[in-house]
Formats: sequence, C-alpha cells, structure tokens
Amino acid sequence: MGIKLLALILSSGIFLLVIELVRRERLTFKYALGWLVASALAVFFSFFHNFLFAIAKFCGFELPSNFIFFGLLCTFVVLGLLLTVFLCQQNNRNDRMAKTIGILEFELQELKKKISSKE
Amino acid sequence: MSPKILIIVPAYNEQANIQKTIREIRALPMKPDVIVINDGSTDLTAQEAKDAGAKVVSLPFNLGIGGAVQTGFQFAFERGYDIAVQVDGDGQHDVAYLSTIVDPVLKDEADMVVGSRFMPQQEKGDQSSFVRRMGIGFFVHLIGLLTGCHIYDPTSGFRAYNKKMIKIFAQQYPHDFPEPEAIVLARRFNATIKELPVVMRKRQGGSSSIRYFKSLYYMIKVTFAIVLDMLKSKRTVADYGD
Repeated sequence: MGIKLLALILSSGIFLLVIELVRRERLTFKYALGWLVASALAVFFSFFHNFLFAIAKFCGFELPSNFIFFGLLCTFVVLGLLLTVFLCQQNNRNDRMAKTIGILEFELQELKKKISSKE
Repeated sequence: MSPKILIIVPAYNEQANIQKTIREIRALPMKPDVIVINDGSTDLTAQEAKDAGAKVVSLPFNLGIGGAVQTGFQFAFERGYDIAVQVDGDGQHDVAYLSTIVDPVLKDEADMVVGSRFMPQQEKGDQSSFVRRMGIGFFVHLIGLLTGCHIYDPTSGFRAYNKKMIKIFAQQYPHDFPEPEAIVLARRFNATIKELPVVMRKRQGGSSSIRYFKSLYYMIKVTFAIVLDMLKSKRTVADYGD
C-alpha cells in the first residue's frame, strides 16, 4: 500500500507542478501537454494498478516493474530525441537571426551615414 | 553593364591579417566590392577591416565559417550581385589569382569555380601538412565516388560563384567545415563546377581553427554530412522561388 501511495503522491505532485508552471507562464501549454498526459497516466495507474499489470502481462513482461522501467526508458529516449530536434530548430533560428541582425545593423549604419552626410 | 562582383571575406579574430588581405583586393584592377563578415571576433578585426576600406557586417556572436560565408551570400543575393568570391581573411589566398577563378564564371562556363592547390603539374605553394593532405585525399575520393565530380582540392575556400549559386547558398549552406559539403550540395542542384590551379600562401598570422581533436571531428562530421547529402533528393534553383 505504501508504494501505491508514494506513486500517487509523486505523479499527482508532478501533474500539479506542471499546471502551476503553466499558470505562472514558465511553461507554455504546447510543451506542457506531454508532461500533463504522462503524469495523468501515472495518476490513473496509481489508482487502477490492475490495468497496469494487465498491460504488462499482455506485452509479455514477467514483472510489472520491468514494464514500468522499460516504458520510462522508451519515453526518455523519445523525449531526448525530440528535445534534440527542438534544440536544432532553435539553433537554426538563432543563426538565421544573427545573420539578419548583422546585415540589418550594417544597413542601419549605412543609412545613418547617408543621413548625416545630407545634414 | 559590367557585372557586380562581391568579395566575401569571412573573418574571426584576424586582426593581424585582414588589412593586408583587403588592401590586396582593393588594389586589383577589377575593383570589386569587399564585404568582411566579422564572425563575432573578440579582437579588432572589424575596426581593422573598416580602416582598410571594406564594408563590415558584424555578427552578434560566432556562427562559424559556414554561417559567416552564408551571411555574405545573403548580402550578395539581397543586393543583386552577379558574382560572389569567397576569400579567407587569413591571407592564405593570393588574390592575384582572383581573375583566374572569376573568368570562367563571367564567361558562363561554370556555376562555381574552385581555386585548387593540388591539381597535377601545377605550381606548388603552401601544400598543407601531410596529415591534412591525407584527409583531403579521402574527401577527393569520397566526393568523386558519390557525385562523379573529381575535385582535387575540395577543402579550398577560394571560390567564385555565379548568381544561381548565390541564390542557392543564400538559402542553404553547410554550417561547420562547409567546403567539401558545399560541393556535394552544389551538385545536388546540378551545378557545373570547375577547378583551376592557384597558388596559396601559408597563414600570415593567427592560428587555424582546425587542430588536434577537431581534425578527427572534421573527418567524421564531413564524411557523414556528404553521405547524408547524397540521400537527399535532387533540387533545382526554382525550388527557392523567384
């Protein structure tokens, strides 16, 4: 019973923390959605652990704990990959912005020179 | 009307060499425009370049050679230049050979011309170290095998490009260690690439950005990038709109 309670407290805590972070605008809903779904699932399985055991058995795992570890491992691998994609996107955007800023700054200096030479 | 030529000089902490490079370019009879892309230098590169009479675009932080060169292409594209020439800011490229690599582009014989150190029976200048030549030899064979395009010096950054290539590279250019990959990218767009012998000098000052373990990373990264590039579909310049 102790472990079930701990799982429930932890998953509920993460669910509420994510909601609080969205409320404080530290997380946007787009990126919080995955965490909300994952923690909601964790809360659900803490209550109805028989579902979890049934799925583990169906997938061929001897122990439900192995199924949980396997699921978590897969989740983090996918999450890591998604974060890398996101990081690359941000990097490309930063690069594009830096190039544009460089050219715009040059054009601004040119304009300033033209204006001051007219004056 | 004479064609508009832009010399793109990517420079990162090249205060020791940049003035000499720019003065040599400005002394040429063809009088091209010179744009120095100051790639987030922490020294006086930008000021030295301005003092020598170049236009300077300063990037807010260091993007690496690919980002700096692509900024030059974007500048050339936006301002309607007909030809862009890449000349390194470290003084290795002898701009006396500028007309050698620009002429075929002017005559519409090639979309891109590579100034080469390693063509057979050519005059020998700085030939790089033995280890680097081995690495270059590997890329020669890899690019030749994958694209059917035999370039003796795929790592040379002394290159001339026509308007088509300016447009393509303004949109898409490899990030780090871009030269070999840019050849493969150009071939994906069916570009005609020509290689002509030039003599290069030793670095006039400063230090190369590719040393020690970076060389190993260079080999692995460029090899992967080239192979992956070959898996992408063929493109045309029309893909980037009018």
